[in-house]
Amino acid sequence: MNTKGNWILILALSLISAPLVIMYGFQLIDSISRPAPGGIIPQEWELTNWRFLWTSIDSARPSIWRVTFNTFVFASSTALLVCAFSITAAYALSRLNFSARRFFLAGLIMLHAFPTITLIIAIFIVLQFLGLYDSLMGVILVKAALELPFGIWIMKGFYDSVPWEIEMAGVQDGASRFRVWRELILPQVKPGLSALLIFSFLAGWSEFILPLVLAPGADAQVLATYMNAVIADDTRPDYGLFKAIGMFYALPVIAVYLLFQKRLMNIYGGGTKG
Amino acid sequence: MTRQTLLGLGFLSPALLAVVMFFLLPVVLTVVFAFTNMSTSTGILGGAYQISESDLRRLPAAGVSDEAVTLLEGAGYAVQPETLALFAAEFGEDRASELEKLHGGATFDDRRAMERALKELRRNPLRKVRDRKTAAELFRVSILGQRFATEAEFQTAIADLGVPDPDRAALTTAAYTGWTFTTQNFELLWKLPATWRYALNTVLYVVLTLGFNVSFGLFLALSTFYLPTRTAQTFRAIWFLPRILPPVLYVLMWQWLTWDQGFISAMMRPFGIEPINWMRHTATHAWIFIVLINGCVGASLGMILFSSSLRAIPETQLFAAQVDGANRWQQARYVLLPQMRWPILFITSYQTLSLLTSFEYILLATDGGPGRQTEVWALAAYHTALSNYGGNLEYGLGAAYALGLVIIGILLSALYLRFFNFRELVAKPRIEQ
Repeated sequence: MNTKGNWILILALSLISAPLVIMYGFQLIDSISRPAPGGIIPQEWELTNWRFLWTSIDSARPSIWRVTFNTFVFASSTALLVCAFSITAAYALSRLNFSARRFFLAGLIMLHAFPTITLIIAIFIVLQFLGLYDSLMGVILVKAALELPFGIWIMKGFYDSVPWEIEMAGVQDGASRFRVWRELILPQVKPGLSALLIFSFLAGWSEFILPLVLAPGADAQVLATYMNAVIADDTRPDYGLFKAIGMFYALPVIAVYLLFQKRLMNIYGGGTKG
Repeated sequence: MTRQTLLGLGFLSPALLAVVMFFLLPVVLTVVFAFTNMSTSTGILGGAYQISESDLRRLPAAGVSDEAVTLLEGAGYAVQPETLALFAAEFGEDRASELEKLHGGATFDDRRAMERALKELRRNPLRKVRDRKTAAELFRVSILGQRFATEAEFQTAIADLGVPDPDRAALTTAAYTGWTFTTQNFELLWKLPATWRYALNTVLYVVLTLGFNVSFGLFLALSTFYLPTRTAQTFRAIWFLPRILPPVLYVLMWQWLTWDQGFISAMMRPFGIEPINWMRHTATHAWIFIVLINGCVGASLGMILFSSSLRAIPETQLFAAQVDGANRWQQARYVLLPQMRWPILFITSYQTLSLLTSFEYILLATDGGPGRQTEVWALAAYHTALSNYGGNLEYGLGAAYALGLVIIGILLSALYLRFFNFRELVAKPRIEQ
């Protein structure tokens, strides 16, 4: 009885998905072709839209490779920091019985829900005080700190699912809690840790507002702010160029996502953006 | 302190440091800044003391007597031992002593008079006009335009000038160029009609987007639930992409779809509809696309969460419903939806908070335009404090805007704490040492 119903469902879903599919399709097509003047149908296949890779598109702009390097440093440093801080903090919250644990757990849940973007004005001024304004270092620290409650939350979930027996056995055999954590528990949460690493990397790679506000200079530019500046500065929109830059920017994201889809699904369910 | 506590705190400390630096401190500072008039012109690191010519007009309003203002204004150029010493260093002792003989102790109202006095030097004339101008400046005793680094220096300077004692305090306050504490940010927010506009916009934005997110998320989850796995996965992938694509690129695709030579305009041309920018033409256009842009991202979160909770519902219930003759609509309405109450509540509360404070997609899509018609509260805070065309960034006023959101954020996330099964979460660790 369900085949007819399925077709109706598929038709409905296709209709509402059409705008998205059109946008994805033309994102790909427009980056490697030139549309007829005033139209949208591609006329010629060509790679001139990718010229930003080998020439500078205008004088004042930093080289794309410099910007890509910055983005990579930004994304990987934040991911490493988030992971390094989360594995210890989450273990303490999940497994160690210490006096203020309840308080810290309640704090974590509140921080997890708290919309960090509201703090950006104060953070902007804190960075000016610290002399870290307009430096990659400053944005890395801020992004890592703001991702931290989420990271700890996710890692705590992974620690929670490790059976107590493993730890009990270690303690019975006379190992210290620290040794038990390092040698028995850490290997158990490795898949979770790598998922968090990938997720934080992607979050850093896509981040736009923080670099825009905290590091607007050319030296610390990342791909998000670079692309935004190219779009904003152009008086006559060149969507072919924009889309090629966008393609270049998004390819690592899509590749990483396709490779690690299964692992990431767990984390995306937790959700960080509206 | 037990070993356990030490180890626990040790493990927490790096994270705690980060949280204190970039969460607690900014929360406190947002409150503090909201009560200041900090801006680009006051700087953030305190200021100096300076009265400029243009400040004179506003001094009476700040409580400085007219007498003191005239004094500040009138004090011009004086041939005193101090100024003569400066002059001697620059233009030689001979000239200085000659000038002292001619005009020792004299004062002049403006520079022209001072230059005339310099012209009278006969034995050692200053011939060049430029030299006389430079020399005249050396005799300037007015404090107008002069910067004093500390309050004490400024006090001494106005005392020397003869400003009456009762005026000094008010004058010092008025001369301070750094930021000061004030409540006028909140008074301003209360008075400005734009504030109410932004608040209304925010409500409109949250309600519409949330409605779209939840209903679309539910529809996507329910419809893919019934489809064969491969088909369902394809549709889920299509709807999942907005979530992982970088926002700058995602919004660019919408910009292309809607600009006046974009997809929609091209599709409409055969029907004789003039090409317009479909996103920015009118406020209604802008609102529709803002809800769609945010909604597609939000709906994908709903889709993921709802799909996984749908899979957790035992299939036997559906079989039972099918045997009783319920069609899909009835199954969804009477069997599935009632069990989705918690995920729906979760998405609603979670997204209310993040939508209230998010402005990234609006900033990229319309930047609050056309006019200020799609400017929401969070975007107004950003525009006031971090990016405006005027160039004077008002950190204090922006912080006052942000403070509202911070308070709502704290309240709602405390409420969120109650949603969670907190007791289970804090279950005691099982190894006691």
